[in-house]
Order: sequence, then structure tokens, then C-alpha cells
Amino acid sequence: MEIKVNNQDDIKVIKLIGDFDGSSANKVEDNIMPYIENHSRLIFDMGECEYVSSAGLRVLLIIAKKLKSVEGFGVLSNLSEEVQDVMEITGFSHILNSYDTVNEAINYMKKGE
Amino acid sequence: MLRVDTYPTHEHNGIKIRRGKALPFGATIVPGGVNFSVFSKHATSCELVLFKKHEKNPFAIIPFPDEFRIGNVFTMMVFDIDYENIEYGYRMDGPYNPREGFWFDKEEILLDPYAKAIGGREVWGREPDWNDKFQHRSRIIFDDFDWQGDRPLEIDMKDLVIYEAHVRGLTKHPSSDVKYPGTFTAIRDKIPYLKKLGINCIELLPVFEFDEFEHSKISKVTGERLMNYWGYSAVGFFAPKAGYAATGKFGMEVDELKNLVKELHKNGIEVILDVVFNHTAEGNEKGPYISYRGIDNKTYYLLTPEGYYYNFSGCGNTLNCNNPIVRNMILDCLRYWAAEYHIDGFRFDLASILSRDQKGAPMVNPPLLEALAHDPVLGKCKLIAEAWDAGGLYQVGSFPAWGRWAEWNGQYRDDLRRFLKGNGDMVGRIVQRIQGSPDLYSDRGPTASINFITCHDGFTLMDLFSYNRKHNDANGESNRDGADENYSWNFGHEGPTDDYGINRERIKQVKNAITILLLSRGVPMILAGDEFGNTQFGNNNAYCQDNEISWLNWNLLESNREIFDYFKKMIELRKKHPVLRAEQFKTAYNSSGYPEVSWHGQEAWNFDFGASTLTVAVMFAGGAEDYGTEDDQFIYAAINMHWELHGFELPELPEGKSWYVISNTGMIPPQDMWDENNYKKLADQSEVLVGARSIILLTAK
Repeated sequence: MEIKVNNQDDIKVIKLIGDFDGSSANKVEDNIMPYIENHSRLIFDMGECEYVSSAGLRVLLIIAKKLKSVEGFGVLSNLSEEVQDVMEITGFSHILNSYDTVNEAINYMKKGE
Repeated sequence: MLRVDTYPTHEHNGIKIRRGKALPFGATIVPGGVNFSVFSKHATSCELVLFKKHEKNPFAIIPFPDEFRIGNVFTMMVFDIDYENIEYGYRMDGPYNPREGFWFDKEEILLDPYAKAIGGREVWGREPDWNDKFQHRSRIIFDDFDWQGDRPLEIDMKDLVIYEAHVRGLTKHPSSDVKYPGTFTAIRDKIPYLKKLGINCIELLPVFEFDEFEHSKISKVTGERLMNYWGYSAVGFFAPKAGYAATGKFGMEVDELKNLVKELHKNGIEVILDVVFNHTAEGNEKGPYISYRGIDNKTYYLLTPEGYYYNFSGCGNTLNCNNPIVRNMILDCLRYWAAEYHIDGFRFDLASILSRDQKGAPMVNPPLLEALAHDPVLGKCKLIAEAWDAGGLYQVGSFPAWGRWAEWNGQYRDDLRRFLKGNGDMVGRIVQRIQGSPDLYSDRGPTASINFITCHDGFTLMDLFSYNRKHNDANGESNRDGADENYSWNFGHEGPTDDYGINRERIKQVKNAITILLLSRGVPMILAGDEFGNTQFGNNNAYCQDNEISWLNWNLLESNREIFDYFKKMIELRKKHPVLRAEQFKTAYNSSGYPEVSWHGQEAWNFDFGASTLTVAVMFAGGAEDYGTEDDQFIYAAINMHWELHGFELPELPEGKSWYVISNTGMIPPQDMWDENNYKKLADQSEVLVGARSIILLTAK
């Protein structure tokens, strides 16, 4: 799995490319955790992530809980229908809000100020 | 702080290992790796076999060094495992001598009896690769579901209305209008419907991993594949059926089922699981090695002195439930489902087997049943027994209970059916059944009785009144399978008909049945689909029918809307009248000034309990002081199962109260059942006329 991080003002747009499963879960966690500090704002661009496994969902859950603890904010964007369904079906959809596109997510975050 | 024991001590072909922990059994994720632990008393050696997911050949076979064995437990911690992408099994060496009960075969790769997830049948009905020696593959899961504060609902037993459903059958039919038909998640889509109906507990047919291809064959009659559709044949007891999960192909069935339980709870609906501990999917001497037989045959199964499998289950083998090892496995299993899945209760299939000793003889105080009754983790779980087995043990009314066990009341079903069909000799028994069966449960109370007229096993309610005989030809056994005693009646035509009169009679009988069921003290159970007249086309044993015979046809909800409406209103009525849900067999005079339950004939206060009659009336008088209601509640049911109209003299009410009609099954909607604010005052307060095969419910205002 490849991870690309872009700054949009003070928002970090994190693009996950490839399958997000047990073999990449640790890498994602290790790479993202340093970005989580007080009030940090993250957008995950899932457009090129076709599969999120149970281990992947758990990393997202841990990131969400960590963000909450530092009054940060994170959202998902660009989810494929299948990944969205899997999250909804397995009870992970409540952890991070989701937007159709990265721009929508950015707009929402900026308005949220 | 780092633990000292998180470092490997040994290495096998590059895989780092150390001695593991003996408990808990199974595969547990621990810091640095996975702890494996498996019991076998008679194995001489054991190997851990590791596969990459779905691959036919293992990438590692690691023998347990003898120093890793503690007592009869093989333990090993394996480091750096990509737990999500592997499957594992065991190979056990030991004696092979079936006469002595030993079946060891060191070539067979065996499922972990404590596997929390099982691969191999992730997508329902997808033909497996039969050349694969390892069909049912243990998997490793993370037990960290985010429950967000949920826990079992602990609804009082007396307030339950149970809805028995098959996970796949409930939503597989194209008419069910869900995105992922036949799955756990599709049940979530039906939650608004279930709430509208008013049930508060769903009882699911077996959801432990089973093999839908067990005994699968092509029917000579229909040309369709016959499946092990009901699933009363566990492969593993700790893993949910992956093929029931829309996300099973991603290995997420555990989270999907937990999320379903959480959503049901959020909507006030409990979950009871139908659990099958009486046998396993390994069958008899000719069956496959899946797990138990190769791990410790003599421990897991009841064997004859000659080493054959006892067959008290009718399914080839019998689990040795009161062996201390097996007993603990069952206890571990139920605790796991209660604690990790928040399951509210369990219904035990052929539970009488759980009361047999290691030689198969029934025991007075079976240790397993006692342990379950007193277990701390299961302390608030409902425990419901199917109180008989296929070996001839029949314990309805006498199942060892310790004040905790309820029973499927098979007597209720049979007596009700015979009375509804027109057998007046049953009336004395009907009096017992409506009161919660005090003849059977005198010291246990009405809530020991799960009242039902239909369940998955047998005719649907509509078929009970549409067929004289079973029609099981599609099962491919020349119609020999399935019960012959159904106490059913077709009203003059076998099967569907355009005859308006016959169809009215059938709908009326359905309403009569549900009226008595929901008036009766005890815990009512409804078969899914009966509330809209679902049919199995006369098949009374659809265990192998994965098709429209078994799948609920939701189109009938439209055509039989009046049946649904009637069910819904009857459930509402029950909920509003605590006197119907009493926990004791109280019948004597109470604060209303009337007997709490009184029996009447065509003359008020005059019922001959010894007579053979099809006319009987019951009055429930719920005293406001006794039941905490606003006012005294009166419900009078005039039951006429005779084929002619009869008048019933009405009991006199307290000064200022009059009789009002709640319902009349002899009428067509909307006059069959009125809304509460619209009950009709009886013109004649001294007598009510009840049509042929009809029930009129009255209340006092």
C-alpha cells in the first residue's frame, strides 16, 4: 500500500492507494499517527483503495478515537460503493463521516470552522 | 511495559515460536503474535499447520515440541503472523482402533474446535473444491467490536413475543426488497417491519458454521440441488456461518453479526440463537474428518461398547455432552456468544441429549444443564430447551430446570391444533394450555412454557389449514420424511384454491389460532411468515429446500394484509394486558372482585371441564391493584370451534361497565379487529352470538 499526503492549508489529505488489509495495517497506522496532534484535521481519500479488510477498518477506528481524544477531526472521501457497504454492514460507518469527493470534504471542514 | 514472554525461544524453518499459554483454548492474538492451544487426551503428538488464505498447500507445518505440552494441552505461540491472511489446522498422531474408540490419522488436517471464524464456505452455495483436503479452515479474529454501550436487553421472559426465523429464508426471496438478500445484514433492513409487527425477540435457526453441502444431492423429482439448508449440523461451535454474511467473502462475518445484534438491540429486539450441541457434522463411521473425530474421538462422542457412534440425534453421532471436557467446551461456547456477541438467549435443539450420561442413559441432575442454569456469565440469558431427543427421551414438563430453563411446549402445539381442527375432547387440555400449562409446569410458572402452534419444523400456519397431508416429494425421499401427525385440515380442497369460501375459512382459522396463542399465558412464539400467510406448498420438512419452498414470499404481505393487521393488533392487545402475561398461575379472585381466570360455557359461569365440547369461553380479569393498570381490565374470549353458530351468555360486569367488541374472527376487515379507540359496544349485553369456527373477543369499558 502506498500513502500520499498533501496539505490543503492546514488540512492533511491522505491518499491510500492499494488494498488496506492486515499486511498494510501497521504501515498505515505508523504513518498516520504522527499527523495526529491537537486539533489536526485529516481527510482520507479512498478513491484508489478498493478493499478495506477488518484490520484496515480497525486502524481507521483507532485513528478516529485518537483524533477525538485530541479534539481533532477526520473524514473519509471517495469511498467505493463496496467499501462503503462493508463499513455500513460491519458497524464501522459511525466512526468517520464520509463525503463523495475530496472537495466536498474540504468544503465541509472549512465551513465547520 | 514489555512482557518478558514476548520473545521467541525457538525457531522452526524461520518461524519464531515459544511455548504458549494453555488457556484460553483456540487461537488468541497476543502481543507479538498468536497463541495456539488445543486439547487432546489421547494424541501422541500434534502439529500446527499454517496456510495462506485459500491456498491448498500449507506454508508451514510446525510440530509442537514435547516441552510445549502442558497436561493434555498442546500450546504454542507463533510470532509475526499476518493473522488476517492465514488459516490454520492441526494434525494429530495417535492410535487408530475404532473398536476402542480411537480414530487418529496423522494425515488429516483438523479444524480447531475453538475456531472463532471458519473459512471454506464463505459464499453460500458456491461449490467447494472437493480435492482440497482441508475443507473447513480455522481462522483468527480480533474480538474488539465497538459496541457503543450496548448489552443484552434482559427483557422479562413474561413480556417476550418470539419470532422464529431462518437467516437466509427471511430475505432470500426476490420479493424481500433488500440489497444483500439472505444475509445477516438484510435482517437489519427488516427491523422497521419487525417493530411494526410488534415482536421483541428474534430466534434465529442455527448460525454456527455448517456445511450447506453436507449430504447435498440433486433431487430426482425437481432436478434442483438439495442442500443442508436449515443447518442443524455444526461444523464449529464458536464461528458464525460465513455464508450468511454479505461480508463473508471478506472474512468479516463476525463484525456483521455483531452489528446486527447491536442494531436489533437498539430497536428493542432481543436475539435468541438456536444451538445444536447434540451432534456434529462429522456424521457416523462413514462421515468425514472435520475436527473432533481426529482430535479426540473418544472424548467428544458417545460410543457403544463396540466403538460405534450412538445416534440419539438421528444425525449419525451424539456429542458426549456430560464428559467434563465437552461440557466445558459447551460452557465456553455459550459464554463466548453471550459475552462477545451480546446474545440474549439460547434455544437448545434436542436438549434432552444434554441430560444423558457418558453411556447415553438419562440423568436426574445432569451436570451440564445444572452448570448452564447457574453460570455467572449466562446469568440473565434465556435458556430454552427442546425437551426431547431422537432416542426416545421426551421431557416436556419434566426437563431439569433449576428455575432457569423454559421449554418448547410441544403439547401446546398438538393440543391447539387438534382443538382448532374440531376435536372437542381436547377442551380440558385447552383450558390448561391457555392458563400457561399448570399441569406441566406447576412449580415453574407459565414462563417455563414457550407456546407455539407452528415452528420451522412442520407446516406453516396457512399450510396447516390448506393441506390434509404433507407434500415432501421434492425432498427426494418419496414423501416418507417429515411428521405424519400434523392435525391439519384443508377445508375440502388440498392446496391453493380459487374457492372464496374455503379461502375465507382458512384465513379465519389462521386468526383463530393466533388469537388463542396470544391470549395464552406463557411465552408466545410465531413462525416468521405466518403473519402474512406464508406457504411452503404443503412441505412440512423443508430442511433441504434452498428455494421458494422455504423462502418467505413477501408478496403475500400485500395479498394477505388482513392477516398481518390482525397479528399486529393481537400483539398490541397482549402488550396492553399484563393479566395475560402473568408469571404465576393465578386464577383466584383478585382486586377486580372477579376470579383472575374464569371458564364459561354457553351459559356464563357454567363450564363442564369433563365434557367434550367445541364451545368454551375464558375471562381474564386483571385487577388494577394487582397489575398496576389504570383500571380493572376484562377480556372475555368466546371460542366456538363448532361448525354451527352458538350463543354465549355473558358474565355480568361490575356496575357502570359494558361489554365492547375487540375482535371477531368471523368477520372481514375492518370488522375482524377494531382499533382500541373504536371498540363497538354490544347491543345485547347479556349474550353474544359467535359464528361457526370463530372467536369473539370482548373487553369491558
